[in-house]
Amino acid sequence: MKTLAYFDSSHDFPEEIAMAAGLAPVKILGDVKADNAPADQYLQNFLCPAARSMLTDALAHSGSWDGIVVAHGCDITHRGFDIWKKHVKTPFIHWLNVPMVYGTASAAAFFKKEMELLVRALEKQFAASITPDKLRAAIKESNEVKSRLQRLSALRATRDVPNRDYFDACVKAVTMAKNDAAKALDEAIKDWSARPAFPASMKKVLLTGSDITYPEFMDTLEEANIRAVRDDLSIGERYYATLIPEKDDPLDALVEYRFSIPRPATKNPPDPRTDFLLKAMEESGLDTVVSQNVKFCEPYLFDTVHIEKIMKAKGYKYIHLEREFSPVKDTQAINRLEAFIEMQGGAKA
Amino acid sequence: MTESAPAAAKGPSQMRVDRLPSTKMLNKIIPNYLLKSKLMAMLPWKKTAWVTAGFPVELCYMFDIFPMHPENAACVSGTQKVSQELIEYAESLGFSRDLCSYFKTNIGAVGKKVGLTKGGIGKPTFCASTNTICDTHVKWFQVQARKFGVPYFCFDIPSAVSGTDDPRMDEYIDYVVAQYKDFVDFVGNLTGKKFSEQKFFSVLEKSDRLCELWHEIYEYRKILPTPVAFQDTMAAIFPMVILPGLDIGIKFYEALLKDIKDRVARGVGALTKEQEKYRVLFEGIPMWYKIKYFHELANYGAIITYEPYTYSFGPRKQLGLSYEEALRELARMMIDVPYSYSLEKRIVYFEKIVDEYKLDGIILHSNFSCRPSCTGMIDLKNAIQADKGIPVWLMDCDMDDPRAYADGPMKNRMEAFIELMAENKKK
Ligand code: SF4
Ligand code: SF4
Repeated sequence: MKTLAYFDSSHDFPEEIAMAAGLAPVKILGDVKADNAPADQYLQNFLCPAARSMLTDALAHSGSWDGIVVAHGCDITHRGFDIWKKHVKTPFIHWLNVPMVYGTASAAAFFKKEMELLVRALEKQFAASITPDKLRAAIKESNEVKSRLQRLSALRATRDVPNRDYFDACVKAVTMAKNDAAKALDEAIKDWSARPAFPASMKKVLLTGSDITYPEFMDTLEEANIRAVRDDLSIGERYYATLIPEKDDPLDALVEYRFSIPRPATKNPPDPRTDFLLKAMEESGLDTVVSQNVKFCEPYLFDTVHIEKIMKAKGYKYIHLEREFSPVKDTQAINRLEAFIEMQGGAKA
Repeated sequence: MTESAPAAAKGPSQMRVDRLPSTKMLNKIIPNYLLKSKLMAMLPWKKTAWVTAGFPVELCYMFDIFPMHPENAACVSGTQKVSQELIEYAESLGFSRDLCSYFKTNIGAVGKKVGLTKGGIGKPTFCASTNTICDTHVKWFQVQARKFGVPYFCFDIPSAVSGTDDPRMDEYIDYVVAQYKDFVDFVGNLTGKKFSEQKFFSVLEKSDRLCELWHEIYEYRKILPTPVAFQDTMAAIFPMVILPGLDIGIKFYEALLKDIKDRVARGVGALTKEQEKYRVLFEGIPMWYKIKYFHELANYGAIITYEPYTYSFGPRKQLGLSYEEALRELARMMIDVPYSYSLEKRIVYFEKIVDEYKLDGIILHSNFSCRPSCTGMIDLKNAIQADKGIPVWLMDCDMDDPRAYADGPMKNRMEAFIELMAENKKK
């Protein structure tokens, strides 16, 4: 099966269009363990390290993809597109403008137009015919994966599921062909359901902030006896919290879906983001928020002060960490997190 | 580049760029504006808006809404040497060191209630910005609109990346035009103000006149020795940023042009013909807290003769169009601004300027605060060096945060750059 890799800074790319063209969509995640020197030839080191890593990844692996789509999210996606276009070797590269404003009629019409352009570009490049029926089938398939992730997500709060296991399941959903991903997630559901109960020594938290693209950070939380049982990350609930409506016009469905997912910090208006977080805290009976931000990721950094304020106003405990983009164990972060949980009286508090 | 300066690169010391006499008019224009903005924010029946670069300020004047410009206020804090304490105040509230220093300066200025002459700014009726230049403009106003409890309107401007063709551009324009209509409704609902086509065209006409004069000023900058340096344009953009569509800016630019023509007639430049050795383009926002740095360049005979940053504030408008056509043109201008040119377009633009302005070197401000404008700078540098054979310096610094600036290394790098230009001229 041919693959279409995509670079988006949130959950911005409509994978279902690629699937309807007979392509397997693969989210580019970068490689935290690889030296970023290749990307650093083109991007200064004070630019987002995750995006630089994704470029490094593309420079090294574009030969194994049949094309690339870059979808607009934060500044580095559209400014970076030009650099990708110039330096990444690929038979096909396409720019998808995703609106920054969500929810207005003009933004909906615009996004639909942009998706139609993507449909035409893929049809031309891959000699495919992307029909409404194929799109509807792709949406169905996508929802199969999302609903499995919803079941897995519920299990992480009741069973012994390390943060890394949850992260790995989410990564499978965005990097494997969807039917393979569904099979793998079925296995995980079976496995997680049979696991022991949620360990009493672990603290349940909601995890928020900039997207986490490598598992080592999830291990950091684990080492501090923290389990993220809710989140609003793109490799996480943002991807599956909402199912795509199955309606007549599949592109309309994709627009509606995009506007209804847990809102990333890169969109306007911003309040739905905090609404989602507050609702998640309430419905899961949580009392603690861990917020984190990768170095130089500005969109999320702007939101942190407000999120801290509203969480504390509700009486929730809150901690914020800024992290390097690195696989190396961050002992300082672990110590801070441990002390933070300890101060609250430990996991059971 | 080497860190130490060869003696050969040094020019006669203490040369000064001669400022245009009419620049002094700003000593009245700016305080008047500040006073007016103080009054406007105090009078409950007056409506005000915070806007950013990239937002067509003309839209405010069309609605008789007084525009306030927090970016401009942040430069005032920089020039008044208070930006650092304001930034540190913002950081003490939890805003990260990694965030744009304009934003943090504004957080500090509002939080500490500093006066207008130090970069203070009143509470607006609403905030409006675009994402055409940066996400910061959107996030900044989300934060401050929330703080003030005022509404925020975001113009979502599609990004015209490398390879954007005309049909796609038309689709982008459709989207922006639809948002004009949303904006008219937004302002109408909030303030009760009605949109008038007549006012729209009259403001557009005056705004274009201002831009026409601005462009003429830039035409004269092509002359050797240049009659106008950055020292003048960095201040003279004020009416372009804040007062387009008003007569006051037009009068000011007419006076500037008179001075310039007089200089040209006399063969006089901002530096003398003998002194002007290196003509330089400066890309980005200057370090407002260290404007002296640009004066120091003159000691080596280097003069900044073109800045995309200042030029970009004055795009010409097409007049004589129908309302619908005029809206489409405005929309095109919002998408297609030099600040957000694609890499391909940016390279073509810069290389044309190198030829037209007979440049000897380029300084690209690799600005820690302005990540969007820095993305692509390395390719820009490599392309210009390869195609035009002139030195391009990626200057690492920050426009409003003095903590990024260190005298010694900055001076050494400046001298090394001068040396490269000197060597290059010998070829
Ligand atoms: S981590 Fe932040 S800056 Fe980096 S790509 Fe994602 S949203 Fe953009
Ligand atoms: S300095 Fe750059 S990032 Fe900051 S507001 Fe201006 S354009 Fe945006």
